[in-house]
Amino acid sequence: MSRTIRFVYTLMILCTVLFSLGCPKQSLEPVATEIAKPQPQTQTETTKEQPDMKMETLEAGQGAGTTKGKGALEQVRVDFENTDIFFEYDSFNLTIEAKKILAEKTGFLNSHSTIKVRIEGNCDERGTPEYNLALGERRAKAAQDYLVFLGIALERLATVSYGEEKPIDGGHTEAAWAKNRRAHFAILGE
Amino acid sequence: MRRFFSLILASMLLFNLNAYAQQVHIDIEASGFRKMKVAMPSYAGPGDMAGSVWAMCARDLALSGLFDVISPQSYVNPGPLGEVQQASLKDFSLIGADYVIAATVSKQGSSGLFKVQMVEVSTGQIIENTTFTSGEQTMYMAVHAFMDHILPSKFGLDPIFSSKIACIKKEKGIKQLHVMFCDGTGGNTIKGGGELVLSPAWSRDGKKIAFVSYWRNNPDLYLLDLASYNVRSISARKGINTSPAFDSTGARIGLTLSGDGNPEIYLINFDGTGKTRLTTSYATDTSPSFSMDGKSMVFCSSRAGNPQIFIMELTTKNVRRLTYEGKYNSEPVFSPRGDLVVFSSLAANGKYYIATIKTDSTNLRVLPGTGLGDESPAFSPDGRLIAFAGADGNIYITDLLGTISVPITAGGGFSEPSWSPPMK
Repeated sequence: MSRTIRFVYTLMILCTVLFSLGCPKQSLEPVATEIAKPQPQTQTETTKEQPDMKMETLEAGQGAGTTKGKGALEQVRVDFENTDIFFEYDSFNLTIEAKKILAEKTGFLNSHSTIKVRIEGNCDERGTPEYNLALGERRAKAAQDYLVFLGIALERLATVSYGEEKPIDGGHTEAAWAKNRRAHFAILGE
Repeated sequence: MRRFFSLILASMLLFNLNAYAQQVHIDIEASGFRKMKVAMPSYAGPGDMAGSVWAMCARDLALSGLFDVISPQSYVNPGPLGEVQQASLKDFSLIGADYVIAATVSKQGSSGLFKVQMVEVSTGQIIENTTFTSGEQTMYMAVHAFMDHILPSKFGLDPIFSSKIACIKKEKGIKQLHVMFCDGTGGNTIKGGGELVLSPAWSRDGKKIAFVSYWRNNPDLYLLDLASYNVRSISARKGINTSPAFDSTGARIGLTLSGDGNPEIYLINFDGTGKTRLTTSYATDTSPSFSMDGKSMVFCSSRAGNPQIFIMELTTKNVRRLTYEGKYNSEPVFSPRGDLVVFSSLAANGKYYIATIKTDSTNLRVLPGTGLGDESPAFSPDGRLIAFAGADGNIYITDLLGTISVPITAGGGFSEPSWSPPMK
């Protein structure tokens, strides 16, 4: 990972922390964003503003099973990111299997003590968008809480809910839904 | 987007006076209400243009919830196109028509003219005889003007066709804001809010839209000013900042925040300050909607074990459960009239339906809709119609009795409609 990308990550984490403080001045600050007037194909300035961050995030968010990693370290990272935990319908309770996977993840997190992770909560397509955003948040939070309980520092574990917006399987069967009710673990950087 | 159209009232004063004297008063919600049947022969004018204006008018008549357009195949003798012949009224009467609409569509420079006649079959009285003008490319404006002219003046209903619907449009994996008239015409996708935009909500003055965007990789709340297209971040707190809804005054926004532990409903000012917590529960609370009288809020909560609709009295914060049928009721929206709440409800067959219930938990009514899975309802500004998202990814309009299910988009990819307040 190049220094530039590390710098971008650091900046991003800094931003996240700043916002997470809920400081009114921060949330007040108007985004220097002008949404393009609705003529088709207009690129806005904002779209170009942080493209690197966006691309990295998307790759991480999709689990990027495409193993770029050549060394052993890269492989454990990929394994860490590719192992999701799964939930029952309309539930954010951790199953026994989920707890086992989370316990395994602490091994990697303890041996890579500077790595930060974003836990992404996801839902299946059933249920409605707004409720699923809240449910996804609770799934990510449940995983975060358990990792903290197992001794991982809270500061290393960000959460985000994608609700039903990022299904890994686009099918409409119970098997597809089961795959989509998950928390995914994306490595943010060190 | 500032388009204007001019409206030429060519109707004779005499007819107008007669029409007002005989204005029909309709209680559409009364059971047994019979829709008025309209015969509408092909419009006169250049083929493509006349055909498309006819189709728009037929759709708007249907989605008003007031009219049934009789299939043109059953017209015996429509007479010459463009005008209603008194001699043919008997034929229209035989097929059960209450009204006949005839129209001529024409071009005049870059303008388009929509000359429309509406005749009451039983009396032969011409109740509308007007030419509406708009841009040739925006003939839907002329149709809206016609609809918004007859609805209040002849049928005692609020004009709705200048109101708009904001929704989410998914294209090539990217979800963006989309704004259109309430019949789906004049649509614009608003680009630039990031790759994942959700949950649009109109401000009470119709000048702003609050929405959720993952612009900063977190579901944060933003406010779009429709005059300038400037966007302001209004809540980017840790956790989710979702499900915006403007309060009765329009000065504050209700939303879901999870920073205090689990998803709860709060009110904040437009500038993001003044956070006031409304709900307190270990369960998930989300999707607030406020009554126009400022007294109550409905919301979705899992405090009873699964998602159900609750109502809060805002002064006392007393909470009462509204829905008991079914295991998944969510996305409640208060009717602008204040008596009804619309929500999406999971039925025993595993599909979602749009349902309404009175604020005293009585009169639960499940609307048939598309039958394929309907979500995310929104009330029209007059509380008579409901927009919703079908499982095929299109936005539909139904009425309070569920007698219609009119698609206003095509091609799919649309979700989460929010209906504007009345627009001028």
